[in-house]
Amino acid sequence: MLSWARGERETVGVSALANQALAYVDVLHNLARYLTGNETDAEDLVQETYARALRAEHQFTPGTNLKAWLFRILRNTFLSSYRRRRNDPTVGGLDTVAAETDAAAPSDWLLGDVELDRLRKVVADEIEAALMTLSEESRTVILLDLEGLTEVEVADVVGCAVGTVKSRLARARAALRQKLKDYAR
Amino acid sequence: MRCDEVRLHLLDYQEGRLRLEAQNAVRAHLDGCPDCTRADTVEQELTRLLEQRLPQHPASLALKRRLAARWSQPPASRSWWSRRRASLAPVLAAAAVVLVAAPVVYYERAASRVAREQTAMVAEAVNDHLRLLASPRPLDVESGGLHQVKPWFAGRLDFAPVVTFEGDADFPLKGGTLGYFRDRKAAVFVYARRLHSISLLVFRADGLPWPSRGLTRINGVEASVAAERGFNVIVWRRGELGYALVSDVDAGELTAFAARLTRTP
Repeated sequence: MLSWARGERETVGVSALANQALAYVDVLHNLARYLTGNETDAEDLVQETYARALRAEHQFTPGTNLKAWLFRILRNTFLSSYRRRRNDPTVGGLDTVAAETDAAAPSDWLLGDVELDRLRKVVADEIEAALMTLSEESRTVILLDLEGLTEVEVADVVGCAVGTVKSRLARARAALRQKLKDYAR
Repeated sequence: MRCDEVRLHLLDYQEGRLRLEAQNAVRAHLDGCPDCTRADTVEQELTRLLEQRLPQHPASLALKRRLAARWSQPPASRSWWSRRRASLAPVLAAAAVVLVAAPVVYYERAASRVAREQTAMVAEAVNDHLRLLASPRPLDVESGGLHQVKPWFAGRLDFAPVVTFEGDADFPLKGGTLGYFRDRKAAVFVYARRLHSISLLVFRADGLPWPSRGLTRINGVEASVAAERGFNVIVWRRGELGYALVSDVDAGELTAFAARLTRTP
C-alpha cells in the first residue's frame, strides 16, 4: 500500500545521510508504534519515513538535529496517512489520533501518599495503555521530550510555537497522571 | 514565583534546563511550599515511570535488514576510490588545508610585515619632527623664501629636493635643516600654521615600504594619511623622491597643505 512496499531499489538517496539516518531506526519505530498502535502500520510508517526523508535529503540542513528532522517527517507522514485513511471508507484502523480530549489541568497534581505509592507500582503495560489513551499530540510531545529533544525541536516536529511546547507538555503529562491514577487504584 | 508558574517549570527544573536565576527561584519556592514539593515528587515519579517502565518498541531485525538493503551503501559495489576515500579523507583534508592555508598564511605574514614597516615609516617621520622641535637650533637656514632654502641643501644631499611651494599666508615657510629619514639623509622644510610647526621631509624613495592600500588621492598623488602619538602624518612618493609631512595641525589642514605641496606648477 505504501510506495516503499514496491521493493525496487532507489537509485538516488544512497548517501552518507542515509547511513546516519538508519542509526535512528529504533527510536523512529518506537514513536511510530505509539502513533499507530500496531506493529504493521508502524513498520510501514518507518519505511515511508525513510523513503520521504532520503528523497528530500537536500532539504536537510547540515549541523541541525537529524533525529528531530526524521521525527518531523515521520509525524507528518503519519498525519497525512491518517487523513487519507479517514477519507477512505474501505479502510479501517489508524484510529489513534482522535483520542479522548486530554482535559486534565496541569494543576491536578495532588495525589495522596497511598495513591503515590500505587503509582510507583504501575506496571509497564498499564503505562503504555494509559499513554495510548492520550491524543496523538500529547503522546508525541511526551515521547519527544523523553528522547531529549529541545523545546525548539519539539515545536518544529509538532508544528507549534516554541512558547506553547512547555504548556502542551505539562498538559499532556497531567493527563497521563490522571490516567495512571485510575490504573493505580 | 507563583505556584502555577513553578509547576509549569518543574520538568525543566528537574532536568536542569532553567537559567540559574529561575532554577534558584523554583528551588526557593519549593523550600516553602508543601503542595509544590508534592507536585515535584509526583513529576519525578512520572518521569521515572516513563524512563524505566514505558515499553520501548525497537525496530525488528527484519525491518532493519529491509531498510539497510534499500538505503545503506553496499560495500561490494564500492570503487577503489570510494573504499579508500574514508581512510584518505584526513590526509586529503590536511593537504587541502595546507594548499588553501599556506598562501593565506604567507600573504598574512607578508601583509603583516609590510604593515609593520609602514607603521615604522610613520613613526620615523614623527620622531624626526620631534627631534626638530626639541632641537635648540631647529633650522639651519631661516628664510622667508624658497629660493634661499633650496640652495642651502646643495652639496649636503645626494639628491635635489623637488619642492615648489614657497609658502603663503596660511602656511609660511620658516626655513630648512638637514635630517635623516631611516637610513638616509633628508631635506627638512619647516612651515608653520599659526603657532604650529609643520615638517616636510624629502628623501630618496627607493627601498622603502610605501603603503599600497588605503591611499588618499591628492592632486593626482596617492598619499597615505596616518596618525601617530597625536601627530598627523601624510607620506607619498613622486618619482624618485619620497615626502613625509608631519604636524600636530588637524588632518584636514595638513591635507590642504599637502595639496599646495603637490600642486603642479
